[in-house]
Amino acid sequence: MMLAEGTHARLDELVSRYPEKRSALIPILHEVQAEVGYLSPEAVEWVAGYLGLSPADVLSVASFYDMFNLEPVGKHVIYVCQNLTCTLLGAEKLIRHLEAKLDIRMGETTSDGKITLKRMECLASCGAAPSIQVDGVYHHQVTPERMDALLDDLRRQ
Amino acid sequence: MPTLKINGVEVVTSRATTILEAARSAGIEIPHYCYHPGLSIVGQCRMCQVEVEKMPKLATACNTPAADGMVVVTNSPRVEKARRAVLEFYLLNHPLDCPVCDRGGECPLQDYTLKYGPGESRSVEEKVHRMKHRVLGPHIVFDAERCILCTRCVRFCQEIPKTGELGVFARGDQSEINLFPGRDLDNAYSGNVVDLCPVGALTSREYRFQSRPWDLVRPTQSVCPLCSRGCNVVLDVRHRQTGEELLRIRPRENQAVNRWWMCDEGRFTFAYLHDPHRLRSALAREGESQTEMGLDDVLARVAADVGRIVQEHGQGSIGCIASSRHTNEELFLVRRFFRDILRTPHLDHRVRPVQGPEGDTSEDALLRRTDKTANSRGARDLAILPDRDGMDTPGMIAAAREGRLKALFVFEEELVRELPDLPVREALGRLDLLVVSSMFPNDTTVLAHAVLPALGFAEKAGSFTNFQGRIQKIHRALTPPGACCSLADVLRELARRLGWDLGDIEPERVWATIGEQPGPYQGIGWTEWKAIGPEGLLPPGA
Amino acid sequence: MTCGVSELMTFDKILTRYQDIPGYAGTMEEYIAHGGYRALPQVLKNMQPAEVIEAVKRSGLRGRGGAGFPCGLKWSFIPKDSTKPKYLVVNGDESEPGTFKDRMLIEEEPHQILEGVILASYAIGCRQAFLYCRGEFAHGARVLRRALDEAYARGYLGQNILGSGFDLEVILHRGAGAYICGEETGLLESLEGKRGQPRPKPPFPAISGLYRCPTVVNNVETLSNVPHILLRGPEWYAAIGPVKSPGPRLFSVSGHVARPGNYELPMSVTLRELIFEHAGGIPNGRRLKAVIPGGSSAPVLTDQHLDVAMDFDSLAAAGSMGGSGAVIVMDDSTCMVRVGEIVSRFYHHESCGQCTQCREGTAWLHKVLRRMEHGQGRKQDLDLLLDMCDNMKGKTICVLSDAAAMPIESYLKHFRDEFERHVRERACPLAERVEG
Repeated sequence: MMLAEGTHARLDELVSRYPEKRSALIPILHEVQAEVGYLSPEAVEWVAGYLGLSPADVLSVASFYDMFNLEPVGKHVIYVCQNLTCTLLGAEKLIRHLEAKLDIRMGETTSDGKITLKRMECLASCGAAPSIQVDGVYHHQVTPERMDALLDDLRRQ
Repeated sequence: MPTLKINGVEVVTSRATTILEAARSAGIEIPHYCYHPGLSIVGQCRMCQVEVEKMPKLATACNTPAADGMVVVTNSPRVEKARRAVLEFYLLNHPLDCPVCDRGGECPLQDYTLKYGPGESRSVEEKVHRMKHRVLGPHIVFDAERCILCTRCVRFCQEIPKTGELGVFARGDQSEINLFPGRDLDNAYSGNVVDLCPVGALTSREYRFQSRPWDLVRPTQSVCPLCSRGCNVVLDVRHRQTGEELLRIRPRENQAVNRWWMCDEGRFTFAYLHDPHRLRSALAREGESQTEMGLDDVLARVAADVGRIVQEHGQGSIGCIASSRHTNEELFLVRRFFRDILRTPHLDHRVRPVQGPEGDTSEDALLRRTDKTANSRGARDLAILPDRDGMDTPGMIAAAREGRLKALFVFEEELVRELPDLPVREALGRLDLLVVSSMFPNDTTVLAHAVLPALGFAEKAGSFTNFQGRIQKIHRALTPPGACCSLADVLRELARRLGWDLGDIEPERVWATIGEQPGPYQGIGWTEWKAIGPEGLLPPGA
Repeated sequence: MTCGVSELMTFDKILTRYQDIPGYAGTMEEYIAHGGYRALPQVLKNMQPAEVIEAVKRSGLRGRGGAGFPCGLKWSFIPKDSTKPKYLVVNGDESEPGTFKDRMLIEEEPHQILEGVILASYAIGCRQAFLYCRGEFAHGARVLRRALDEAYARGYLGQNILGSGFDLEVILHRGAGAYICGEETGLLESLEGKRGQPRPKPPFPAISGLYRCPTVVNNVETLSNVPHILLRGPEWYAAIGPVKSPGPRLFSVSGHVARPGNYELPMSVTLRELIFEHAGGIPNGRRLKAVIPGGSSAPVLTDQHLDVAMDFDSLAAAGSMGGSGAVIVMDDSTCMVRVGEIVSRFYHHESCGQCTQCREGTAWLHKVLRRMEHGQGRKQDLDLLLDMCDNMKGKTICVLSDAAAMPIESYLKHFRDEFERHVRERACPLAERVEG
């Protein structure tokens, strides 16, 4: 599996920061996921070889964390918080709206591969509920109308 | 040396240890799953919780150090409720597979549930369904629904063979143990996970659906014959209508030899004992072919031939190549017959380079050794070696080829296959008398004038000496099939026909004589031999 | 709703005073210009590490992550004579539902945290500190990175800080989405590159923590208090609010309130004052039904408890806990069975899976509550839930199991009638349930 030029150097630098090599695993998985799109078995195996761990060990770690995608995801990933405050203030309504609008269920990707919907736990933005995170950016007080505007933006990208 | 009280019983420990280990040493059971003395401690199953005076919460016995003056209770109502609850939690998703699960009848989940668990289920929820009977590798089958996530198998693969094939994936009640996609569980010790698994999540392909534990007759202690380590084992035999069958070999704990483990080769290689192609009767050469013949008749012929050859050509015209697969007792009788009775100096057991003292080394970082026979050390200790003026194995082959050796006894070695660089066929073909014992017909037996059907290790009693010099006993688990009989019986009969008395041939009687003679086993007489327990005996100076 | 002005309305903000500065962007320059990084040079010049620990002890500062453990005491557990490296690990993994104050501090006032990190490291003899930032805080991580670069550039980090001879490396580390990594030993496991599965204690992190070396794990807000304690003195700090819970606290208020947000107040504030004076009370003409005072792991309180002060001990005496200081307000349109379903779903999802009671119990709790919410509850389910909760408490490696159980117990305690009606009527009894 080939990584972009410069990625390897960045990973080496990451590893050098820690007293023990293995500590760099999660930051490395973030980097590799960002580049490859998701953590494919090849990607996991590559990381395992790079750090001298067994592939089962690396997959065991990667599969523990919500942010690591072990299946391909769309170009844009929308996390919708489903926790208490957001639900009290309309998250489920937003979710139903999204599912209807994009014609997929939570956890799935649109057929054109553009958008993946994921339920998330508390995003630490309860003061501005309902909150979502799109491609790493938070959006607050998301009504169905504001959501539609966001979706239009994403489609245009 | 902490002294503590467990359920009112004073327990003195000899070293720093945990409550669980202290209890074990005193024969007090504290139920547990994830703990195993050979693996790292994780303290996650929560079964071993006990009450400790002055500790507000229940403590896990597996990772709580036993302290002097500690007062522990394992059977209070509080502990019983906690334990019952843990079992209830386990049973929420555990499938009702008992009728079709190998573990049934020897299952710690069944046993603890019966003893400590709830009688009825309170759950009406759908159980989590997972993959079932998934083949993980050449020997192991996995059922994820039965798995209780004790992680012993994962830790075993990481810590013992250090191959790390297994991992726990996802988290919470979605956790599942599995392989990395595309990989196999194929390390040389994979079978140990079946022993470790407290439930029937990990089973062996060889033993699946073969038996229920109550159909296995008394477990027989023995020693694996497939390398010089001599892992201690237990043989499980089932009586069927068609006869007895060895169904399973499991390791026995012996910290000095194999700890708790054994390799897959030793564990799963035993079908040969029941192979229909095994020699079950003696054979005698008639012209160009060999025919089955009664053992007595064959031995009568052999004795007659031996007598004639000794008379015509002298004692030095006979040789014997015995095997390091034999027991100490068989080897001792071999030496007695050939050196003391027939008085030939030509005796050896060495056929492979690994059989020398420097030849046998570790094959891996764990248990396996390069000498694939059980008793090279015993053969050396009992001097199954040529006299000063005797010939060794290559010498005997050369002498046979040149016509100087007239008779050769080959006990359980396939010389044609083992010595490709020597003119074995030609040599053996020139002999007046070639007697071969073997379990199976092979390129060497077909050249023989007399073929004697040999016993497998599970069919005889005696002892092997492992590479450490440790004398370890084997016991009979199977009745010898057909006319197969021990070398001891063969040699006694031959001696008798030649007018000699070989003496007592029962294993313990043989040691009475071994112990009297100078050598590494001097002083190990009948009493001492009888006293050797499951852990074996390392003679002083070994 | 809004009432007369109380003295608490005019509390002089400490941690969030930057909010009064128009256009404040949290850069190092601005932080210094507005009084930041004054404690650090003084301490490095005039105080020994042991004195710093003493000062923080005397201040009475208690952890702001959820456990409320005395901070100075935690620091003092680091063995002075150990030859192993000592580590400070900053817990920026804010994930307790309802809590959003650490994210604010990270994004808006990173240097206050950093100053606290440097001071704490100095106190415990740490030369390499780790900033564990929640993986979802992409923006926060960027802000922290910028702040670290600024600090290094100006000699506040690295070798020989401000000419004092004290060296400190601070490494920024991102998590990847797991609530259990907010548990201090779960965090350490994650930082070591493993599954975030908490460790049995003892040994405690102060003895055997990161890489089995002596380690202190402190919350972001806790460390943000440290520069102020050292600059203005522990006695000043100890005088703020209740004696046993001194200092300012950031309360994240959300749910059915007019003005949700983070409120910096002393812990002598009552729940009533917090909800009705500061957060604007309950909109839409509704009444308060239930309030969670310390994050979803905290047992629920009702309108009977509004005069409880928001300090750790008063809340514990009322049957709940201070926790993370996150206050979730629910009005009378809220179905408590539904709340039970949502809260239990969270713990079901977040259990690491090690301990049997938690792995299976959090799932079972959720399944029963979900079944109940969908009209298929049985009468015996209520006592079953309570027994389940009892079996889940106090018997696991960490307290996630307790955090899942205690809230459910409290919902059943305070709203048993509602649960029974919900089961009996096979549907939510609330006539007009308003919820998205």
